Amino acid sequence: MASSPPYTYIQCPCSNEEPAEGSDASSPESDSFHDAERTFDPRAPRSNYSLYPLEYLLYCEECQQIRCPRCVDEEIVTYYCPNCLFEVASSNLRSDGNRCTRNCYQCPICSGPVQVGEVQAEPETNLLSADNATAAPHGPYALFCQYCSWVSSEIGLEFERASGIPSQLAKMKNGGIPRITAKELKERRKEDPDMPPLEDELVDAELQYSALRSFYQSQINGPSNGLPGGLSLGDGHNFSSPAALTRMMSMWQPGGRGAQGKTAGPPDVFPEATDTDKGLKLAQLDESAKVQKLLNGGWNETVSKDQLLGQLEHAHFQDELRPLQCVLRTKRSRRCAVCRHIISKPENKVASTRFKIKLVAKSYIPSISIRPLEPRAPPVPVGMRPQQPQEPPLKPLQPYQYILTFKNPLFEKLKVTLATPNNTPGRFSSKVALLCPQFDIDPVKDMWEDALDGDDRSRTEETGQAEAGKIYKRGRNWVSIILEVIPPLLSVDSLRPHTASGEPTDRSPLREDEKILEIPMFVRMEWEPEAQHDVGDRVGKDRNEGQKRELAYWCVLGVGQISHE
Amino acid sequence: MSTAKRQSTVPAGPKPPVNFSSTVTIPKDAVLQGTHSITIQSETLIHPRARLDSNLGSILVGRRSIVQERAQIGVEPQNIDAAVPGGVSLGDYVVVEVNAVIEAGGTEIGDGSVVQVGSRIGSGAKIGKDCTIAARATVAPGTVLPDQTVVLSNGQQRADKRLADARKLSTLKQINVVRKMIRNDQDKFK
Repeated sequence: MASSPPYTYIQCPCSNEEPAEGSDASSPESDSFHDAERTFDPRAPRSNYSLYPLEYLLYCEECQQIRCPRCVDEEIVTYYCPNCLFEVASSNLRSDGNRCTRNCYQCPICSGPVQVGEVQAEPETNLLSADNATAAPHGPYALFCQYCSWVSSEIGLEFERASGIPSQLAKMKNGGIPRITAKELKERRKEDPDMPPLEDELVDAELQYSALRSFYQSQINGPSNGLPGGLSLGDGHNFSSPAALTRMMSMWQPGGRGAQGKTAGPPDVFPEATDTDKGLKLAQLDESAKVQKLLNGGWNETVSKDQLLGQLEHAHFQDELRPLQCVLRTKRSRRCAVCRHIISKPENKVASTRFKIKLVAKSYIPSISIRPLEPRAPPVPVGMRPQQPQEPPLKPLQPYQYILTFKNPLFEKLKVTLATPNNTPGRFSSKVALLCPQFDIDPVKDMWEDALDGDDRSRTEETGQAEAGKIYKRGRNWVSIILEVIPPLLSVDSLRPHTASGEPTDRSPLREDEKILEIPMFVRMEWEPEAQHDVGDRVGKDRNEGQKRELAYWCVLGVGQISHE
Repeated sequence: MSTAKRQSTVPAGPKPPVNFSSTVTIPKDAVLQGTHSITIQSETLIHPRARLDSNLGSILVGRRSIVQERAQIGVEPQNIDAAVPGGVSLGDYVVVEVNAVIEAGGTEIGDGSVVQVGSRIGSGAKIGKDCTIAARATVAPGTVLPDQTVVLSNGQQRADKRLADARKLSTLKQINVVRKMIRNDQDKFK
C-alpha cells in the first residue's frame, strides 16, 4: 500500500475498539474520554495495521461503520481453476486436493500455463510448400510453454493422447520411465513371492509413502498392540464416547494407573520400518553424479527457490522438475464481524466479475484528495499520463498550501467537521492549519437538475483563494478547502533538550519515516437520511424524520517529503 | 474537411539510402530514417509504424524476417558513453515483435531468433541463432548469448531444446498471410 505522496489513508475504527473482556467496568467513561482526546499518531507502529486507502474499505449498513479487511469475516463461495475457469465442488476438493484435475498445467520453469500440442517428429524440409502441408499426423503429444519455450519432451514426458494428461502423467517419471505404483508392486509380488525388494533408486516419495502407510496401518489395526485400557488408536470414534473419556482420564490421573492395574500391558511401541517393503528408504549419500552434473551444467541447471516451492518432491536440477497442476482459486464473500451481515458477495458464476452485494466505503463516505495549491512539479506529458507528477521535497520552515477536496457520494447534504492537531505528533512536528474546518457538501444530483436549479445556492462563501474561514471552491457535490503546513527543520540538534513533560528528548539519528510529512485529521460527518420510501407506515416515517446520523474517523494525509539538507 | 492525420511538426530527417529486394513488403506507414544504408533482404515483412533508424550505423534485415508494429531498430543506446559505433544486423527468419527496441552499435541477432513484445536489446549485444527474448525482457549491452537461449523477463536464462525448424515454418506462414493484408509501397522509400 506504500504509495508516493500525496495520498489519503483512512483509519478503520476497529483498531480502537477494546476487546470486550478487557474493558474495566469501573472506569469506562474516563477511558472513552481519554480515547477521544488522544491524537492519532500515523507513525505509531500500530497504525501500520489500521490505515487503508479508501478503495480497500467496505461499509456495514447495519452497524453504520467502516469495515476494513481485518474486521470482516471471509467465506468461500466457490472454488475454481484460474486456467480453465471450471468450478470445483467442495466435496471433490476433499478427495482430489486443491489442484485442478483437468488438463491444466503450469510450466515448472516459469509458472506460465502450458498447452498440449503435438510433437513434430520430422520437421518439414521443404519450407516453401507451407501452404499445402496438411497431412494429419497423430504423433505423440507434449506440454508446451509459450512463454519460456519449455517442452515436456525435454524431460522425456510425451503422451499418447491429448486428453487425460493427469492420469498419463501419474504413470510416468521424468525421462518417460514408467512409475511403479504400490498396486503394481503388490500384484507383482503375488505372482512371484520370491521377488527381491525394489532398489532404493526406484522408490519415489509416493511409493514410499504408501508402503509406510500400509505398514503402520497394519500395526494400528493389529490385535496385539492395543493401548492399555482397551483403547486402540485406529478407530477414532472410541475417543468421543464418554466411557472412553473416563477411562482415559483415569489413566492420566496420578496413581490412577496403579489403581486400574493395567500397567502390566506392553508399552505401546511401534516397530520402525526396517526394509523397503515397509517403506524404508536409505539416504543417498553418494552425490558424485550430482556434483558432476553441476560441474557440467552450471548455475542455470539448478532450480531456483520459486521453482522448488511449487514442487511436491525435492529437486536439485531443472530436469527433475515436473509440470504442476494449477492451484484452485476461490471467490469469497465478506461478512461484518460484528453484526454478521453480508457486505460483499460475488456472483457464483466463475466467469462473472460482478457482485450481488458490494457495500464499498467509497459510496458512503466522502473521498478526500489532496494536491498542492501551487504545483512545483512540471505537468506530466499526455503520453505518460497515469503517472503522477512528482513534487520536489518541501523546504523546512516554509509555509505550503494544499487544496483538500471532499467529494460527497450521498444523496443527502453532508455536514463535515474537521480537526487536526496544531502540531503533528512525533519528534519533528509540523505546524498545521485548516483554513475552513467546518462546511457543508451538497448532495449528488442529476446534472440537469443542478443546471436548472440556477444559482440560488450561495456562491458568495466561495473565495477562490486561501482565506481563513472560507471555502476555497465549491462544486456540484464537492468542496475544496485550504490546508496550510509548515514543515519542521529535520535536524536532531535543533530539538529542545526536554519535552513538555520534562523527559529528555530522543536524540537518535533521523529515522527514515520522519522525512515524510503525514498529518492526522479527524473527520466527523453528519447527515439526515431521507425517509425510507419502502416503509409504508407513518410511524416508521416519523421515526426516521429528524434523525441525524453521524460517522467519525481518523484519516492520514500524506503531504510530501521534507528535504533534510 | 480536414480529417487528415496531424503531421508531425518535426521536420523529417534525411531519406536513408535503401537497398530492398523486390519481394520485400513494406507499407508507407513504416518509418525509415538516418544516414547510413538500410538493407532489407527477400521476402521480409515490415509492419506499419515500424521504425528503422540508421543514424548510428547501417541496418541489415535478413531474409524472411518480420518487424512488427512500433518495433524500433537502431535506436540510440541508453548509455551513450559506453556505446560503440555500428549498426544493427538481423539474420534470416528473425521476428521483432511489437514495441521491441533494438539499440544500435554493432548489435547482431542470429537466424531464427524471436525478440518478443516490449523487450530491449542493448547496444552491441550478440544474440545467437534460434534464441528467444521473452516479453519485456532486457538484454544488457554487449551480452553474448549462445544459440537457442531463452532469456526470461526476470533475467533468467535457459537453453531451448525445441526443434527450431517448426518455428521457422510458423514464421513463414505468418509472412504468407500478413503480406496479403499490408499494402506494399516500396517506392516511397527509394
